[in-house]
Amino acid sequence: MRAIPLLAASAVLASAAVEFNRDVRPILADKCLTCHGTDAVNKRIPLRLDSEAAAKADLGSGRRAIVPHQPAQSELIRRVTAPDRARRMPPAATGHTLSEAEVETLRTWIEEGAKWEKHWSFIPPRRTATPPGIHPIDHLVRQRLDREGLRPQAPASRETLIRRASLDITGLPPSPAEIAAFLADRSPKAYERLLDRLLASPRYGERMAARWLDAARYADTNGYQFDGERVMWRWRDWVIDAFNANQRFDQFVTEQIAGDLLPGATLNQRIATGFNRNHRANTEDGIIADEYAVEYVVDRVETASTVFLGLTLGCARCHNHKYDPVTQKEFYQFFAFFNNVPELGRAMKYGNSPPVVAAPTREQQAQLKSLNAKIAAEERAVQGYETEYRAWDASAPQARWTPATGLHKAFAPGEKEAAGGFDNDDRFSFSIWFRADAVPDGPLFTRMTNSEHGRGYGLYARNGRFHAHVTSDYEDDAIRIDYAEPLEAGRLHHAVFTYDGMRMASGLKLYLNGREINPNVTKDTLYRPFRNAGRAFTEPFRVGAGNGKNSSFNGGVEDARVWSRVLAAQEIVAMSNPTSSNARRWQYLDQFASPAVRTAWKRLAELRFERERLEHSFPTVMVMAESPTPKQTHLLIRGAYDKKGEVVTAGVPAVLPALPDGAPPNRLGLARWMVSPENPLLARVTVNRVWQMLFGAGLVRTAEDFGLQGEWPSHPELLDWLATELVRSGWDLKHTVKQIMMSRTYQQSSRAPEELVQRDPDNRLLARGPRVRLAAEMLRDQALAVSGLLHEKLGGPSVKPYQPAGLWKDLIMQDMEYVQSQGPDLYRRGLYTFWKRTVAPPMMLNFDAANREACVVRESRTNTPLQALNLMNDVTFVEAARFTAQRMILEGGADRASRLRHGFLRVLGRAPTASEFAVVEGSLAYHFDYFASEDAARRYLSAGDTRPDPRIAPRELAAYAAVASLLMNLDEAVTKE
Amino acid sequence: MTQTRRELFRLATGGIGFTALADRLMADPVSAAPHFAPRAKRVIYLFQHGGPSQLDLYDYKPALTRLHGTELPDSVRMGQRLTGMTAFQAKFPTAPSIFKYAQYGPDGMWLSEILPHTAQVAGEICLIRSMHTEAINHDPAVTFFQTGFQLAGRPSIGSWISYGLGSECSDLPSFVVFVSQGKGASQALADRQWGSGFLPTRYQGVKFRAAADPVLYLSNPDGYSSTARRRYLDDLARLNGIKLADSGDPEIATRINQYEMAFKMQSSVPGLTDLSDEPESTFRMYGPDSRTPGSYAANCILARRLAERGVRFVQLFHRGWDQHGSLPRDIRLQCQQTDQPSAALITDLKQRGLLDDTLVIWGGEFGRTVYSQGTLTAADYGRDHHPRCFAMWIAGGGVRGGLTYGATDDFSYNVVENPVDVHDLHATVLHCLGMDHTRLTFKFQGRHYRLTDVKGRVVRELLA
Repeated sequence: MRAIPLLAASAVLASAAVEFNRDVRPILADKCLTCHGTDAVNKRIPLRLDSEAAAKADLGSGRRAIVPHQPAQSELIRRVTAPDRARRMPPAATGHTLSEAEVETLRTWIEEGAKWEKHWSFIPPRRTATPPGIHPIDHLVRQRLDREGLRPQAPASRETLIRRASLDITGLPPSPAEIAAFLADRSPKAYERLLDRLLASPRYGERMAARWLDAARYADTNGYQFDGERVMWRWRDWVIDAFNANQRFDQFVTEQIAGDLLPGATLNQRIATGFNRNHRANTEDGIIADEYAVEYVVDRVETASTVFLGLTLGCARCHNHKYDPVTQKEFYQFFAFFNNVPELGRAMKYGNSPPVVAAPTREQQAQLKSLNAKIAAEERAVQGYETEYRAWDASAPQARWTPATGLHKAFAPGEKEAAGGFDNDDRFSFSIWFRADAVPDGPLFTRMTNSEHGRGYGLYARNGRFHAHVTSDYEDDAIRIDYAEPLEAGRLHHAVFTYDGMRMASGLKLYLNGREINPNVTKDTLYRPFRNAGRAFTEPFRVGAGNGKNSSFNGGVEDARVWSRVLAAQEIVAMSNPTSSNARRWQYLDQFASPAVRTAWKRLAELRFERERLEHSFPTVMVMAESPTPKQTHLLIRGAYDKKGEVVTAGVPAVLPALPDGAPPNRLGLARWMVSPENPLLARVTVNRVWQMLFGAGLVRTAEDFGLQGEWPSHPELLDWLATELVRSGWDLKHTVKQIMMSRTYQQSSRAPEELVQRDPDNRLLARGPRVRLAAEMLRDQALAVSGLLHEKLGGPSVKPYQPAGLWKDLIMQDMEYVQSQGPDLYRRGLYTFWKRTVAPPMMLNFDAANREACVVRESRTNTPLQALNLMNDVTFVEAARFTAQRMILEGGADRASRLRHGFLRVLGRAPTASEFAVVEGSLAYHFDYFASEDAARRYLSAGDTRPDPRIAPRELAAYAAVASLLMNLDEAVTKE
Repeated sequence: MTQTRRELFRLATGGIGFTALADRLMADPVSAAPHFAPRAKRVIYLFQHGGPSQLDLYDYKPALTRLHGTELPDSVRMGQRLTGMTAFQAKFPTAPSIFKYAQYGPDGMWLSEILPHTAQVAGEICLIRSMHTEAINHDPAVTFFQTGFQLAGRPSIGSWISYGLGSECSDLPSFVVFVSQGKGASQALADRQWGSGFLPTRYQGVKFRAAADPVLYLSNPDGYSSTARRRYLDDLARLNGIKLADSGDPEIATRINQYEMAFKMQSSVPGLTDLSDEPESTFRMYGPDSRTPGSYAANCILARRLAERGVRFVQLFHRGWDQHGSLPRDIRLQCQQTDQPSAALITDLKQRGLLDDTLVIWGGEFGRTVYSQGTLTAADYGRDHHPRCFAMWIAGGGVRGGLTYGATDDFSYNVVENPVDVHDLHATVLHCLGMDHTRLTFKFQGRHYRLTDVKGRVVRELLA
């Protein structure tokens, strides 16, 4: 608990004249606008206080709420001071009351003329001129301190400074070597060089990404009830790369909103749009898909408005916004930008839901490139055989050709059944020849469970027409396709079924006698694999037969084959028609060409197959796309998905600047508008979050709300200066970070006299440096870094570090198990920890991490006993303490004193004071005695997957490990000072 | 304070009595308090997860027997929305409960034969047969009950109450959660169901588990004793005290306190969760399951022990009520696990004089349909989710025992008398605790949020 402040924040911020935006508007917003705001019309309340004209208008019989210069004539003052409680505003039922000071503020403001201002954040930032010779940030902070009669603190020590800067920029503490180098660098440029080095580190991108993932509600599962796994880490890695490359922030925003709509969009630009697909997605069996399709769009609106605008547009979903000048219609106009996505209301239970894009990693892209080069080389090698081929073609008899590459199974004549294969997220094809004297009817090729509502896939003739399906649950979890093409009786037909493993009807193709036939899709909602809920799927392939005893084809079938790939159309033509030129040529190349050509041809086929497998192994990422046929957006009455009101078109709230001329009315237009210099919000909310990251709280403390209910900035001119500087620098975020960190304001000591702490407990005046507990993932990262366990691999699939046994099992359904990672993946940074929404990593929850359910941009810190237990007893930290102890012993010198000093240096980045040293020395001595029992020592050292260093006696290592744990649990260790 | 800082420093470096001083200086300034005199000081909420069938437990519909297998009249269903699981079903055959009902308690409460123990405490409980909700699927429905809103993100009811009333004990969290597994199909739960939403994390529910560590990370590392931990914490407090004297950040004093609280939990929780000191009579009362750690019955005993220690909000989640098929078989098993312990908890609290100021709540997230899901036979049927009416009961602090409140139509399909929605229940629970639901607010993203959103009515008829 914080000590109770002696001065309320508003008093800290008070100065002489009453200003509408700073002093009056917060009172109106908090106490009056619930009823007298934008929403008043719905409540049939005549008076509105959210616009100047309405507030000063004649209310009838000459009464006016506000009469400038005449408080006594102003109905507003009369009503808030009415002696009769029944007449006094605000009404008792609202639970609001006005303090005397607030009434006085209103009175003074009216006396001074009741001057109205547009809400501050809707006015474009103004750059204040600052004098030379002083850092503009310091100038703007000092002005305020001078008014308050305060002085800044002295600069922090150089040890404190390098730790602070390292944690802020990279999220990791400095190593002893880095500290030594910095202390040895006597140049006046030493600090700036330090910042430059840190900003160039790839760890910077990870640090920045951690907060962006909170804002973008990134997670590795879908959320809601079933909470199956999804794959969005390619988007996460794109974010890290973008920060590390210091991509212009306006471009960073544009690509995430509308990368897919940019001319010639690159793969990376499409991946960037995953930002708008990170929301939760419901996969539960019984849901009404339309209802959730609306929720996803609402989530995008809420996230985009919070992250980019600092506005809570979500409040206007059901009614006009009660506080901010945003109407319900405007909400749905904004909604329309994000509503035109060809997506599923009920999402895929496992894996990504469309639209997705294959997103190869850099390594995979390199592999693909090299494969393509090899393929090109082999293609060149399969040449120069034309003459021989023509001669062969003229003489050789006709024969069927079938592709050999990727052949999984060829049925022998008469063979009816064989071991099955392929789940519905695999790629496969099968072909069959058939003929019936009557109208063809019955199963041709199947792999099905033997029940009416079976799972599996198959191709059937049904009364002379094809039917194909891939089914996980008969009722609602299937792809089902009928074909109008009639199947002639009494002739031989060739059918090929190909399936690309994407669980969409568009990935299932059917060919009749070499020609692809038109599907009539009757169901396209395949959500689960056959192996769903831990069920085994062991059915065989059946030829000419399906599930059920009496189910068989009414004619003959032959030469059934299955491939573990998607056959190409040309191959299918060649298979069905032995006289086709490809069939002839490929038969020749398979069997009759010269050995050199044959070998190259074989290699070529293998390489192409390898490429197909490689491409199918690419991780996908969910992305934004536009529906080819635009979806109509309606205002939804009271926000309900099924209560459609008027049709609306995409647009931005009228209180903000209009869309730029010529901007398309889609996400790209929105992105252009978002980053345009006229938008007063984007730069402000962005620099405010950077400030929050460095100081623990933003200049606007309500980082998520720059609207009327948000807090007034503590330093408006400073916020505007930073915002204009961000734009001026070409949206250079590293520049912003460095600018702030170069200020004396940032570099001052966080130690402060008692009086200052009491007067300004939250450090709103910035008369001292930041002192903030580390964020959840930084606590983990620091423990791994100081112990040397940290595995600094950048990016890749999320990992599963230590977690208490059974946590998932306690809560979830049958088929997801927490399988702990092995080896180096146990020691990755916190931002790579697998985030399951319904059972989030417990350490992250304990230390106030954003919940990843919905967008969170405000950092919060609490202080609880569960945190203490976590840091003392979680195997992650016990093992890290042991490794720290090993380093103290092996790298700290020969005697106890120097080893303890080394521990201090490693964990806190500084030397101990004499009194501190006495305490740790006492602790070490105690633990030497305590661990005289070798059994206790061995058990204490057994935490984690690693083994203790055998060069060190268990008793000694255990005693040092206990001391290391002590140091790592210090308030100073868990705090950035 | 400067004086104090020097004193701190001296004590920190000298060592003795430091933590006591820190305690005195930095005692939790809980300003939370009820708005008016409360009838209950704490809550035990027995959440029956999955949606128990009101038709087979509490809502007696004798007239249905004759209608077995007949189509549910459209006049009853009124085209109301169905879950995606039965929306495509061609028939909606009426499935009367196969269970017998009888009247119990001084006021003649109708209860099903599979609740023989609850029947014995019928005079204590207040049965609400007219509950209704908006959600038709598990996750949104549970979220609605837990937070007053169907989408995740808001604080849970236990967090609201901890925030509103603070803690009554210094060595345990004020909001504790248990989860047990039923015999039937279990739907997934999520940690966020007891999360604190936008309230500070300290108000979130702490899950107690039937594991070596009842609370995550509670045990010291293997080989490290409580004595060593005490010494460790003394040293930690000394070093933190030196820092506090130097830096002046009051957060350091809080941290010292939280480590002390952690130590207290290390001593109090294992004793609390170890039932070996309970007499034989306790286990007889709660039934055979109560000796099995992690069972619903064992959790009911733990709930009582926590209530005795002043924990504000204890919530048990028992999974397995989602009986879409084979309902008669599964609901019987489910009742075998829950009926006796639920009733025993009432009796036990009463014997100890705790029922007067403990509010006990029993209920799930929605009810189940009168028509059968899947095939209906003479002895077997299933039921789909049904939000339009279901039953819950409350007992203890301030509640009118023996009362049966509200009524549904002949098909237990729609509420016809005294409807109670989720917000009303929340408002009533807060009222019992001495809080006005419209005044328990927290400002977040520019808005004053409430557990009851913008709704809620205190159902005074339920209260004594």
